[in-house]
Amino acid sequence: MQLGPLDAATSIASALLRALASLVRLALRTPAGRIGLPLVVLHVVLALFGQALAPYPPTQFHIEDHQLEGPSLQFLLGTDQFGRDVLSRVMSGATSLISVAAAGALLGIALGTVVGMSSGYKGGRTDEVVMRVMDAMMSFPSLLIALLVLTSLGPNPINIAGTIGIVFIAPVARVMRSSTLAVKSLEFVDAARLRGEPNVYIIFREILPNTLPVLAVEASVRFSYSILLVASLGFLGLGVQPPSSDWGLMISESRIFITGAPWVALAPAAAVASLVIGVNLLADGIKQARELPKREA
Amino acid sequence: MATTTTVMLETTTAADGAEQPLLKVDGLSVTFFTPTGAVHAVRDASFEIKRGEVVGLVGESGCGKSTMAYAIMGYLPGEPEVGGAVYLDGQDMAELGPAELRALRGNRVAMVYQDPALALNPTMKVGLQILEAISEHLTLDAAQAAERMAELIESVGLPDPERIAESYPHQLSGGQQQRIVIAMALACDPDLLLMDEPTTGLDVTTEATILDLVADLKGRVNAGILYVSHNLGVVARIADRVVVMYAGQTVEEAPVRDLFKDPRHPYTVGLLSCVPKPVADTGAVTRLQSIRGSVFPSAQSDPGMCLFSDRCPMATDRCTSEAPTPASVSDSHESRCFYPDDVSTDLWDELVEREAPHENGKEPTLTVKGLHRVYGKWQRKYLFFGPKVKPPVRAVENVDFEVGAGRTVGIVGESGSGKSTVARSIVGLVPRDEGDLELRGEDLPAEADERNADQKASLRMVFQNPTSSLNPKLPVRHNILRPLQKFTDMTASEREERACELLESVGLDASYMDRQPLQLSGGQQQRVALAAAFAGDPELIVADEPVSALDVSVQAQVLNLLEDHQREKGTSYVFISHDLGVVRYVSDEIVVLYAGHVAESGPAEDVLSTPSHPYTEALLSAAPVPDPDATPTPIRLGGSVPKQHEQFKGCFFASRCPRKIGDVCDNTPPPLQTSPGSPTHEIHCHIPLEELARLQDSSVATLG
Repeated sequence: MQLGPLDAATSIASALLRALASLVRLALRTPAGRIGLPLVVLHVVLALFGQALAPYPPTQFHIEDHQLEGPSLQFLLGTDQFGRDVLSRVMSGATSLISVAAAGALLGIALGTVVGMSSGYKGGRTDEVVMRVMDAMMSFPSLLIALLVLTSLGPNPINIAGTIGIVFIAPVARVMRSSTLAVKSLEFVDAARLRGEPNVYIIFREILPNTLPVLAVEASVRFSYSILLVASLGFLGLGVQPPSSDWGLMISESRIFITGAPWVALAPAAAVASLVIGVNLLADGIKQARELPKREA
Repeated sequence: MATTTTVMLETTTAADGAEQPLLKVDGLSVTFFTPTGAVHAVRDASFEIKRGEVVGLVGESGCGKSTMAYAIMGYLPGEPEVGGAVYLDGQDMAELGPAELRALRGNRVAMVYQDPALALNPTMKVGLQILEAISEHLTLDAAQAAERMAELIESVGLPDPERIAESYPHQLSGGQQQRIVIAMALACDPDLLLMDEPTTGLDVTTEATILDLVADLKGRVNAGILYVSHNLGVVARIADRVVVMYAGQTVEEAPVRDLFKDPRHPYTVGLLSCVPKPVADTGAVTRLQSIRGSVFPSAQSDPGMCLFSDRCPMATDRCTSEAPTPASVSDSHESRCFYPDDVSTDLWDELVEREAPHENGKEPTLTVKGLHRVYGKWQRKYLFFGPKVKPPVRAVENVDFEVGAGRTVGIVGESGSGKSTVARSIVGLVPRDEGDLELRGEDLPAEADERNADQKASLRMVFQNPTSSLNPKLPVRHNILRPLQKFTDMTASEREERACELLESVGLDASYMDRQPLQLSGGQQQRVALAAAFAGDPELIVADEPVSALDVSVQAQVLNLLEDHQREKGTSYVFISHDLGVVRYVSDEIVVLYAGHVAESGPAEDVLSTPSHPYTEALLSAAPVPDPDATPTPIRLGGSVPKQHEQFKGCFFASRCPRKIGDVCDNTPPPLQTSPGSPTHEIHCHIPLEELARLQDSSVATLG
């Protein structure tokens, strides 16, 4: 009996869920993880419910009397040049940024994993060619490729996520290839070959579970890079378009008032920074926890 | 405290001229604190070492042997709780400060580690590393130090000290590296030498030469030597006294002959009966025995009982409710057992005689003809151009043998002899370059991927390291169900049932189905691997060093399972091992490989008796036998297996052969000789067989 694609999907999904649960447990064992995890959770909550929790609609103008007002009880983080509430805009900006960044990172990780693991498992000349192509891709600055694609295809969330996905194939493939090489030499892979398992089965069922810790760390690193990339694209005007409250866009729009009304730029900048720091701390925490002595012998 | 005072009294009396122990370990205990709780690595261990004496310390892995050695050095990792005391020449080591300890280590107490490749700095020439050890403790000027270094290198039996001193560790063979480590340990004439499994990673032939060196040192350096080993054969060869450790306790201590001839602790008897022994004079071969269970979980602490009671065949209620203390059996013989007088050698089940092997069937299961395998290509001087400068590595050349139905062919040889390449070519993990493989007379494709399901099911492999041959992320269930799914057309429920049967056939029950491999002990893992190999009802199983990674106590379980399965199903085996004792025990026929060439092949008893190939003779002579009275012919091989890309103009063994007869060996490939009495016994050698037999019989005979 062959393994159906549905079986494969459910088994991968359940493996990912289990991995997630064990990662949370791991994260909580180190100080870095204990700081990073709440930060990330906070941002995820913002992304899911930010718009609903915000005190004002993000695009509501208070143009007559509240332009570029400093923080007050009415507007906790002040207002921008159109009298829009900065807090509400920051809170509702999380959704687009995190979802686009996450989609891009996930795509990159998925593609990179497939490319890297297949190439590493196959080995020989194929591997050599694939990895040189990856090297070539990595020699371009990622922002440059993104700009190139987005100016020709037009900036919309799907294009942004797709671009990030492509940019991330090379670095993810490299990491996954090296951990595949390490696992490939173990005897259970030989045992699977002697049973006559197809390559796809060996790569994803036998090898992948053994590379999950590496993959998890790589995923978190990619996610934080992805956030920075989306924010940078927004800042350069190639991200989500106005009047949406994308953080990069907000920083970009407010930079002319930065001497008079620094809060308008600081709030979204702090949001991006805290998210990136949170993700990095979480990743570090997990990495450190893995190096701690195991609880079970 | 009472014990301490008696010790002080002893040492003061000793000072009057009576013999004072060099090292006295008194009630030593070491407890590590881990996140899971306390681990009692050593508990209540006591023994002594005198000057000029070699004390062997044996036990299974996890018995605290290495911890003991490190505790004596005062060099334990972490912050363990240490109880009891260690006295060096009457000086309590615990009273020494860090600076004094530092001065002591290397100077008065030196250590030799298991893996010389890790003990040496790969970026430093070995001469410099020895000089470092000298200058750390002795005040010598440069010329004196250099002289001392050359002296040391010579004293460990290495020729040409200048050349050796200028070498980096990777330029030396494993045996040479270990000699350098020993030279470093000897740098300051230590009083006590601790050797932690110094020959475990080495080939038998190299091991034998290192053991000779240790025996030689004993007479020369007037130091006490503590020799830690899991190998009873090694200890039997060099130790004066033996201390047996179990679960951190010293359970028996005796002079070497007493311990091997008249053991007084059931654990010692168990260890001894697990080792495959040479065929007895009566010709009766008995089944191997194993010690059930595994070492008392060291994390547990229950001092109120005999720690061995759960595995002991003679345990009584007293053993589980009261802790035994070491009691004297005779003058110098102590045993930590309540009933030392009831201990007998047939304690572990009665000795069951093995059944005769299967008759050689008409049609062989597997035929290997002219197997040839080369790794890599000719390398040219300038990447793609220029003259060919480096030939490819030849792993196996022209290997032929047959495996009859229901029979076992053992393949022996040192590392680098091509054993694993043969195994992997048979199952198709390494494609062969030339030669034919036939399964029941049918041609077998070279690569596993090209073989059909039936061929794959008929040819299974058991790997050396069970920890890596089972996927650590998938449960036991997966490892057994998957081959069933691939090789049979059973329904899911039938497979489930069959998997449970298979587990039971290897002595594990159905509850193991959902365990993760990492939760199992090494022996259990290897048994799961066996069950997985048995799953497709294979006709031939290739076992590549299946028991090398296991303790002797569980080695027997795996060997017996293989044997039972063979009797029941008529499965054939290709059994690969570097351990001649094991191969001798399991094989009907033996193939001796050297540098990718068959040196000798034929029925097991013929190969192991005269006349045999000089290489076989050397292997037999080197193999450690757990019998202190064994006097093997002292044949030692120098050097190591030649780098395989060397082209052999003459005999492949000429460079190391102790019986080389002259230029003919260097220039002409050896002819194939068949012994007249046994037409399947083949030897590749220039020396005529009658001459070979005469030479070998005249040197000290009786190899068993």
